[in-house]
Amino acid sequence: MSNDSKKWYSFNLNKSDKSDSCGCGSNSGSCSDEKPKDGYDQIMDVSMDRRSAFKKITAGFLIGAGAVSSSCSVVSGDESKEKSGIEWDEYFKGNYKLMTDEDKTETVDRLTRSYELRTGKKLNMSSKDAEEDVLFGYAFNISKCQGYMDCVNACVEENNQDRASEMQYIRIHEMEDGKGFNFEESDDNYYHEVPADGHFYMGTQCFHCDNPPCVEVCPVQATWKEKDGIVVIDYDWCVGCRYCMAACPYDGRRFNWKTPEVPEQEVNKNQHYLGNRLRKKGVMEKCTFCIQRSREGQNPACVEACPTGSRTFGNLLDPKSNIRWILENKKVFRLKEDLGTEPKFWYYMD
Amino acid sequence: MKTLRVFRSLIKDGFLEVTHGSRAYHIWMAVLSFIMLFGMYNYSIQLEEGLSATGMTDRVSWGLYISNFTFLVGVAAAAVMLVLPAYVLKNIDFKQAVLIGEGLAVAALCMCLAFVVADMGGPARLWHMLPVIGVFNFPNSMLTWDVLVLNGYLFINITIPMYILVMRYQGKVPNPKIYIPGVFLSVFWAVGIHMITAFLYQGLQARPFWNNALLGPRFLASAFAAGPALIIIVLAIIRKFTAFKVPDNTIKKISMIVTVAAQINLIMLISELFKEFYAPTHHSISAVYLFFGLEGKTALLPWIWTSISLNVVATVALTFHKVRSNLKILYVLCGMLFIAIWIEKGFGLIVPGFIPGPWGKIAEYTPSLVEISVTLGIWAMGAFIFTILAKTGIAVELGQIVYKKK
Amino acid sequence: MTTKLVLKALTIVICLFVISCKHSDEHKYHTVVDKIEAETVTPENLTVTSETFNENIKTVKIEEDGFEFLIPERKSQITSFNCTECHTKPIDKLKQDQVGEKAAHWNIKLAHAGSEIMNCATCHTSNNMDNLHSLTNSEIDFNYSYKLCSQCHQKEFKDWKGGAHGKQLGGWAPPRLSNTCVNCHNPHKPAFEKRWPVRFNTQKVKERQ
Repeated sequence: MSNDSKKWYSFNLNKSDKSDSCGCGSNSGSCSDEKPKDGYDQIMDVSMDRRSAFKKITAGFLIGAGAVSSSCSVVSGDESKEKSGIEWDEYFKGNYKLMTDEDKTETVDRLTRSYELRTGKKLNMSSKDAEEDVLFGYAFNISKCQGYMDCVNACVEENNQDRASEMQYIRIHEMEDGKGFNFEESDDNYYHEVPADGHFYMGTQCFHCDNPPCVEVCPVQATWKEKDGIVVIDYDWCVGCRYCMAACPYDGRRFNWKTPEVPEQEVNKNQHYLGNRLRKKGVMEKCTFCIQRSREGQNPACVEACPTGSRTFGNLLDPKSNIRWILENKKVFRLKEDLGTEPKFWYYMD
Repeated sequence: MKTLRVFRSLIKDGFLEVTHGSRAYHIWMAVLSFIMLFGMYNYSIQLEEGLSATGMTDRVSWGLYISNFTFLVGVAAAAVMLVLPAYVLKNIDFKQAVLIGEGLAVAALCMCLAFVVADMGGPARLWHMLPVIGVFNFPNSMLTWDVLVLNGYLFINITIPMYILVMRYQGKVPNPKIYIPGVFLSVFWAVGIHMITAFLYQGLQARPFWNNALLGPRFLASAFAAGPALIIIVLAIIRKFTAFKVPDNTIKKISMIVTVAAQINLIMLISELFKEFYAPTHHSISAVYLFFGLEGKTALLPWIWTSISLNVVATVALTFHKVRSNLKILYVLCGMLFIAIWIEKGFGLIVPGFIPGPWGKIAEYTPSLVEISVTLGIWAMGAFIFTILAKTGIAVELGQIVYKKK
Repeated sequence: MTTKLVLKALTIVICLFVISCKHSDEHKYHTVVDKIEAETVTPENLTVTSETFNENIKTVKIEEDGFEFLIPERKSQITSFNCTECHTKPIDKLKQDQVGEKAAHWNIKLAHAGSEIMNCATCHTSNNMDNLHSLTNSEIDFNYSYKLCSQCHQKEFKDWKGGAHGKQLGGWAPPRLSNTCVNCHNPHKPAFEKRWPVRFNTQKVKERQ
């Protein structure tokens, strides 16, 4: 049988090159050089194709409406053209969780370039994936914390948090001795000499639950748990419904009610896509265990800043790590354990 | 092809119908348009500044928008209470009411969707939620379920009356074999939308005030009180201002539904109050805040006590057949019940869920003017949509606009 | 017909529930502790290191009860070490020579346990200032001063070796580098001092009004 015995007409979309290179002698079986796609690839390819189709259609509408005049205008300079081109591509990019490595590099390049165009400064943005055999955990020594709040300041600076609304991921609760862990009566905004007599201090932040309720409820999967246990947010995919915020029992999440402001000279330029890169208004953010640092082997900024050594961070899968010793040898507990969220943030006392 | 021509003609006639009317009608529509425009202006401020233009904060992160959304889902669901007896039990009385009810459901659903969009931090990125081109976290996220059921319900509630209207428009009798399955589906669906909206809150272990097995059933009971109560009021207005005949009997039958639902709702309220206050636990603290205030923070007290007193008075009064039969009093009672449930299912439910916060901090919530204006604008939009639908529907039902073969 | 419809609707509902059941690997373990136990790796296989973050810190390696880790080297950090450059004679002799003059280290006030328990000579050796000494008068190198502390502070010493007390420097990844006692605690005045918190959030105050 030869090829021309085909009795139907088919559209040969996107495959004009391949059909020639395919030297199949027999008509049975598929070409050997065409790798069969697995399910994931198929789904991804399809959705990407559809997204680009959607992009083109929208573009068509918008050009029709004259809304993209800036990107098409002949008068505007190359830079502004490039800028709007970047904005355009950024708007239509997919969810980071589902991106290929190539897509990740592209979006990181776009973001750094866009920052350069805006400020003339270079960023160092990483898209490093989780390492194998790493599961991050955190331990907090209640006996040691003195309530200085150095961790809070370090966190704000490291993670480029909004200065105007004084956003902070970490809260230090001042508790009265003899009342147990009474959060209702504690104060997380004290301002007097610390440690105050008859008080102890307890820090809270995102606990990076192993069974995170915030991830379950997100309607668009803009937040998820990475392989190394860090719960992250794709700031560009978040639609800002704040359902995760309602679902978090630990007050771990923050919302950008307006455009966050960080003075240019204070911007931490060592960034990660899922970490401390600059956010925009209307998206969620939270502690990422300083993913831009921890993925490299470094301690989060809060751990580094703590002058009392109350904070321990490490790899739960490494039997020789400090955090493992704490879990195995100290009387550790977690907050609201009855909710089944399995936080990876333990408290202990001397 | 023919259906399309009929449909086009119906749209044309409908357009003529809604653009013509009495002076009162024109004033009504003008006022609504003005409020809508005002709301849109305020929404543009919110878009520009971000949600900081609202009264919401990291402490209370859902407010007036989500409160109204929750309440309106109930109103939308309640339309079905009228669909069932009208079409299946062959209760002729209800037929007119059903058309109004479904129109109300469509308007309420449009408002729901508008409220959700108004609440989004990034409405421009909403396409991320579209299946196929975006990522739809189904079935894990209850919000995706809600999106599905609400849009499905909207679709059902547009198609059924549309089919009936198109048939009537041509002077034909609608075929029950076509629309009755749809009616059945919508019955299940109505229960579904409200239960799923309740699950949205009920499923959050973080918020003990919502994490309560009674929430879903209570949503249903209150919805089936507030929805038909609104329908009674609307029918009363329509009866007064149009030639549309709604017999007293219909209104009385609906009032029966309102009464039973309000009674069940009251029983559930008592059950909830008993659980929270007989043996108060750590988890009752939000309820304490709602009903009695905490640490001198009492913003919700006037609201919730107004709601409870209106609710109790209206329910008790409705229980007496003689009081209920007096239509004037009935309208007042329905109005009271509607307001009571709007408060209770609105910010009486949403706001205390966030107070005190997960670490016991009490930060109160007061909606900003922008927020209130947008909310009013969306309500005006709902009223606008409903007026258009009702006016066209009534005109078709009354035979004022008929399809003319050319 | 009615019953059929009801049945159909029920089937759809049941199907939806079945689909919505989670059957991913995510929920393989009952608790995160089970997960940790099951997935623990041999430390030799770990690839991430924190070496680059500790490059600038001069370290010494210590081994105590099977714990092996680095601590910052101390002697090079002490101004004018060797001490014997000044302390050419035992303290008593030096004092005799300099009567009436203001002594060096005049500002050091010992606030570490009571005076009946500790004085300078508990740790410092009068005739060999370059080294410390233990309770039994064995010589202790300044780089290993933790040995001295551990004589009394056994519990802290145990926690420090394990990693529950003290502070890890640089990174979480191996090799482990921990502060030694005197990096955080001034041995003459070991308690942490009271001070003002570095931050006060004005927005939170507004929120709660």
